[in-house]
Amino acid sequence: MTLPGGIKLVLMLALAMSASVAHGEVVVIVSSKSSITSLTPEQTSRIFLGKDDKFPNDEFATPIDQPEGDAIRDEFYSKVAHKNPSQMDAYWSKLIFTGEGRLSKLAKGSKEVVKLIANDPNAIGYIDKRDLKKNVRVVLTP
Amino acid sequence: MFQKYWLSVLLLIIACLSDATADQLVNTVAKSGSGTTSTVPASNTSSSDFQPNFQISGFGSLGVLHSTQTAGDYVLDSSLPSGAGRSSDWETNNFSRLAVQLNSYFTPHISGQFQVITAYESNGTFQPDVEWLNLKYTFNQNAYIRVGRIGLPTFFDSGNHDVGYSYPWAHPPSELYYLLPIQSSDGVDALYRFGIGETRNSVKLTYGQNTFSSPIINSTAKDLWGVFDTIEYGDASIHVSYQERNASFQNNLTGTNSPGREFNDISLGVNYDPGNWFVTSEWVQSRTSYLANAMYAGIGIRINKFTPYLIRSQHTPGSYSSGSTPSSFDLRLANRSQSTNSIGARWDFKKNFDLKLQYDQVNLSDNSNGFLINVPANQTLYGSTFSVFSAVVDFIF
Repeated sequence: MTLPGGIKLVLMLALAMSASVAHGEVVVIVSSKSSITSLTPEQTSRIFLGKDDKFPNDEFATPIDQPEGDAIRDEFYSKVAHKNPSQMDAYWSKLIFTGEGRLSKLAKGSKEVVKLIANDPNAIGYIDKRDLKKNVRVVLTP
Repeated sequence: MFQKYWLSVLLLIIACLSDATADQLVNTVAKSGSGTTSTVPASNTSSSDFQPNFQISGFGSLGVLHSTQTAGDYVLDSSLPSGAGRSSDWETNNFSRLAVQLNSYFTPHISGQFQVITAYESNGTFQPDVEWLNLKYTFNQNAYIRVGRIGLPTFFDSGNHDVGYSYPWAHPPSELYYLLPIQSSDGVDALYRFGIGETRNSVKLTYGQNTFSSPIINSTAKDLWGVFDTIEYGDASIHVSYQERNASFQNNLTGTNSPGREFNDISLGVNYDPGNWFVTSEWVQSRTSYLANAMYAGIGIRINKFTPYLIRSQHTPGSYSSGSTPSSFDLRLANRSQSTNSIGARWDFKKNFDLKLQYDQVNLSDNSNGFLINVPANQTLYGSTFSVFSAVVDFIF
């Protein structure tokens, strides 16, 4: 049984729309110039929580964050560090007010993250999978 | 009185501003558009990228404390002059505090921390005090040295025990924190971090001195040195510390002086926090001619924005080390044993804010008034049990 043309069009539009509002997947990336090919959630978590300043291969790691309040940031820390935004704030507040805090690089949005990381073999960041480009490599899908 | 109202108004203003300055907490130095300036003091930062910068942040709390034991005052810190129970029904001084911190990044390797806090003090005022003031030289992310007024990481939260936002409970477990030996050292410290496989270890050494004065007692601690070690593996961490000092005291009420004596303290802490629940426990032994022990164990779960928890804490009867004569100072610490069962919850109702409600059931041992203060002379509350209620809002900015 074939559907009338109009209905087919509506169905296709519906499918297309649902695909575009589907929740993107967060992936952790490094530059394609980096020699890192994969990382565990634990290793990634330590870098972003300021506990490790190097990759497992002993090269320096520079974490790039997205702005606080962005859904992708919350999803990243929830999956990789098992901390919600309040827990992340509490974690950093303890470090900052005891003099152990550190500064981080910040990029507004996945596209800017990709731009920063592509040129820096030491950088590591998290983006929406849909914003992947050829000059960066996925090392973890949490 | 005036100071308290001024503090409340200031806290409210800060709370309203905190929304606008929320981003500052994570120490971003992002400039608009592409490219950011990194000020991570690591060898991979070229000096030409670096620009000196300064960050302001802060924290505070406002809350009430209530105790059903009206024959004495329940206090959150054993140096405070009054608390809830006898002096006040719904006491607000113990929980009121506000601190502002300036972080200065002068060069990729040199930074400074300056923190001023206004909180209820041993002299009964809210006079602002310098909490931390130090300069740090960072070799790399795994090693630094600092000089100035530095915190002593005796317990997991001793350096941040005023930052209510940074821990789940309404206040750090009293029995343990009454035995906090010394909060800060004026001197130097050095940190070294290293890893073996998936384990991370950070070791800190400190050396300095500390002076403390209050209407009741002045103390001077010299040759204050300590070693503090934290081992982390996955979601677990273990903390061990040893510190010693030579301390002398002046009793301002009686005019008696205790000459310098050796004190040392050992502590041990364990924490496991996989995210949706956590358990933590710490123990301290304070040692001089009198040995005192305190510990707590706490457990909590996280459900959306709520973190309900339970704590059991106790200060157990100590003992005199053999062959020593108890001094008047020892006798102050003796007969203080008490234990507490607590239940409470933290609610992260808004970004950078939390509300906590906690109920403590405090049990005094058979020959002890616990850490209650302002108990009339000769009144003994031995063996009694009473309730303490805390409601506090914490914030950071």
